[in-house]
Amino acid sequence: MKLKQKTTILFLSPWILTLLIFWLFPLVYSLILSFSEYNVLSGESHFVGISNYLELLKDGDFWTALKNTSFFVVGTIPFTTIFALILAILVNQNIPLRGLFRAGFFVPSITSMVVIALIFMNLYAKEGYLTFLCNLVGAPTPEKGWLFSTKTALPSIMLMDVWMSTGFYMLLFLAALQSIPLELYQISDTLGANWWQKFRHVTLPYLRPMSLFVILINTIKSFQIFVEIFVMTKGGPLNSTLTMVYMVYETGLHKFRMGYASAAAYVLFLVILVLSLIQLKLFGYGRTVED
Amino acid sequence: MARSSSTKRILLFLILVFVLIGMLFPMYWMIASSFSSEASSILEISDLLPKGLTLRNYIDVWSYGPFPRFFFNSLFVASMITLGNIIFCLMVGYAFARKTFRFKNVLFLSVIMVLMIPVHILIVPLFLIIKNLGWYDSYFALIVPWLVSPLGIFLMRQYIQSLPRDLENQARIDGAGEFRILFQIVAPLCKPALAVLAIQVFLVNWNSFLFPFILTSSEKMRTLPVALALFQGYQTIDWPHLLAASSLSALPVIIVFLFFQRQIISGLTAGAIKR
Repeated sequence: MKLKQKTTILFLSPWILTLLIFWLFPLVYSLILSFSEYNVLSGESHFVGISNYLELLKDGDFWTALKNTSFFVVGTIPFTTIFALILAILVNQNIPLRGLFRAGFFVPSITSMVVIALIFMNLYAKEGYLTFLCNLVGAPTPEKGWLFSTKTALPSIMLMDVWMSTGFYMLLFLAALQSIPLELYQISDTLGANWWQKFRHVTLPYLRPMSLFVILINTIKSFQIFVEIFVMTKGGPLNSTLTMVYMVYETGLHKFRMGYASAAAYVLFLVILVLSLIQLKLFGYGRTVED
Repeated sequence: MARSSSTKRILLFLILVFVLIGMLFPMYWMIASSFSSEASSILEISDLLPKGLTLRNYIDVWSYGPFPRFFFNSLFVASMITLGNIIFCLMVGYAFARKTFRFKNVLFLSVIMVLMIPVHILIVPLFLIIKNLGWYDSYFALIVPWLVSPLGIFLMRQYIQSLPRDLENQARIDGAGEFRILFQIVAPLCKPALAVLAIQVFLVNWNSFLFPFILTSSEKMRTLPVALALFQGYQTIDWPHLLAASSLSALPVIIVFLFFQRQIISGLTAGAIKR
């Protein structure tokens, strides 16, 4: 009996160790750091109470980062979700080559973010593809390229994000669509329902849990936007693409202000947590299809 | 009636073709530019075709001193992490699926909770922990923290739960130890799930940037994404070479995807759908 327990613990040990060393300890450690001033060079650390948090409130960069990040989240998620849903419905129809479409739309999701960011830097260049397209239709273009203007840099990155994440969420919606029992549509047909009524009363209620999930994970992911910023703009021009995680990276690993960076990271953590809970509440988590 | 539905289908088809072109254009552009002899600006339609087809960029990139090393680093790190996940997620998933032990629910809840934690919170503390362990700028830093993934545990537990217990019980009666049961009886039955897990873990780590970037500093420890991101300095960018290097990072994945589409898709969407 004793031996059996020992093997079980042995089986569980990889997770227990990873959980303790690489998840729980860092979480607690950075919470402690956020209340201290930690000097990496001398290794000295002392408790400063909530002064890091107070400093954040007065830090213009922090508010800029929070504003940009929120703008990014609010400006991408509705588009990504709606496009993903539309595409899912389209590739769920009986049309030729639909396997090809599903695979093709998914390709951006398996490509490294760094590679995608590099390609789009080229497309967004002064004489790049986007400028070319705008010239075709006579739309105005920024003088030095799309990533070098404070007005267009962040929206350009947002456009790229919608492009790259739509395929992934499309597949999630597709899985949800395919789980809807066909009989429901047959019954609606015999009742003489049109496509909108079927969509409104059969499809949408069934998609509710997946929609919640899609919006939830996209929110968590989007609030953490970093790689795109690091590769494409480094937060510039003039902080117009400075995001929360970029700020954490810069204050922590560039200016070596570990305590201050941890405080900023925790604020973002709380923002994400609160928004996730609100979303769960708004969407009525646990409500079933029947009601 | 029949006519209007076939017109609809053609229209639908055309819309999808149009979207597909939009989705794949950036990929096309990367490949086309990587075979061009000169960096081109796009001023007219004809500029959308590669100019002066050449393999030169690829040859240059591959013979550029550290590039093979970057490629090796990515391959080595992603392979080691994948191997670790196959073994450890199998062990942990098996324990969760088959064993009873104290704090089982709490421990399983920890797996789900960790899946939801935004990883940015780890940037500063993980950097400091790795430094203190003396692992900074080494393969340990790139590999050890990711050897067992919560999503993998979740996946394996679900899969093992769905397997019949007869074979395990039979082996137990025959006197086989727990390790033998796991690796000789259960593991072979788990092949489909392990394939999904392996491909998913490999893909995520092949593409990963943030932690390989913050946990290393020397050129020889860079993985492909890190090298690519740092390759472009502040000077003018040498696009044909940079995009050839990008293709060398992205194309293996896209080719593998075309072969293992089903496994990749179910791996990447697993966390979502199983919930």
